[in-house]
Amino acid sequence: MSTLDIGGSQLDASWFLILGGILFTIGTVGVLVRRNPLVILISIELMLNAVNLTLIVFSRQLQNMEGQLFALMSMTVAAAEAVVGLAILVDIFHVRDVEDIDELSEMKG
Amino acid sequence: MAVAGAVGVVSFREPIRSVLSLVVVMLALAILFLLLSAQFVFVVQIIVYAGAVMVLFLFVIALFGPTRELAKTQLRFQSWLSALFVLTLLGLIYAMLQGIQYRQPDKGTDLSVFGTVQSIAVGLFTTYLYPFELTSILLLVAAIGAIYLSRKKIDER
Repeated sequence: MSTLDIGGSQLDASWFLILGGILFTIGTVGVLVRRNPLVILISIELMLNAVNLTLIVFSRQLQNMEGQLFALMSMTVAAAEAVVGLAILVDIFHVRDVEDIDELSEMKG
Repeated sequence: MAVAGAVGVVSFREPIRSVLSLVVVMLALAILFLLLSAQFVFVVQIIVYAGAVMVLFLFVIALFGPTRELAKTQLRFQSWLSALFVLTLLGLIYAMLQGIQYRQPDKGTDLSVFGTVQSIAVGLFTTYLYPFELTSILLLVAAIGAIYLSRKKIDER
């Protein structure tokens, strides 16, 4: 157990890690259960954010800046991923209206 | 509050409500970043995620109208399988958190400048200059790819 001094009050670092784990799991539920491709992309964003939270918690606990730098990098990659994923979705939606991602199991246009 | 927003992301049927509850999650996480003395990451989180990425999602939803999700399109065993998988994942994460061994904090770090723009920039432009330049190339490729994917197909007429 490791306590962090945050604004004068002592908080355990594992609470943040548990929150990150819960958020990541909820994102996984979204990817597995939901059928709308947009919502699946949103759930992936949620998972990436949970990982960012974990990186920053460890960065604060080790008092090492590299975790924050890596979180910034992963934010950049996540933004790029969202842009490309949404562009692909827009292209697919132009061809036909998709409400279920299982309809896209074939690769013909 | 972040957990409530995340449950909202997964459980709402309309995508627009999922996006709006994701904004709640982003803002709650941004406040946690500020608590963990990551001021610059806090600002980037609000501008990039709660600003840019969410506006992008909202534009795409506004472009194609609200689509309700039909419950009957789900596979029969899918929810059971995913519940099993997710419980396993949660247990794994919990077990990892139980077995965690915290290293002693690095000595010689000045906490008064920890997480400021200055200390971020020193790391970003000295030790990690090469990955930083690589992310700029990645963003360029992503922008060009998005334009290419969403272009009008003139030559196919």
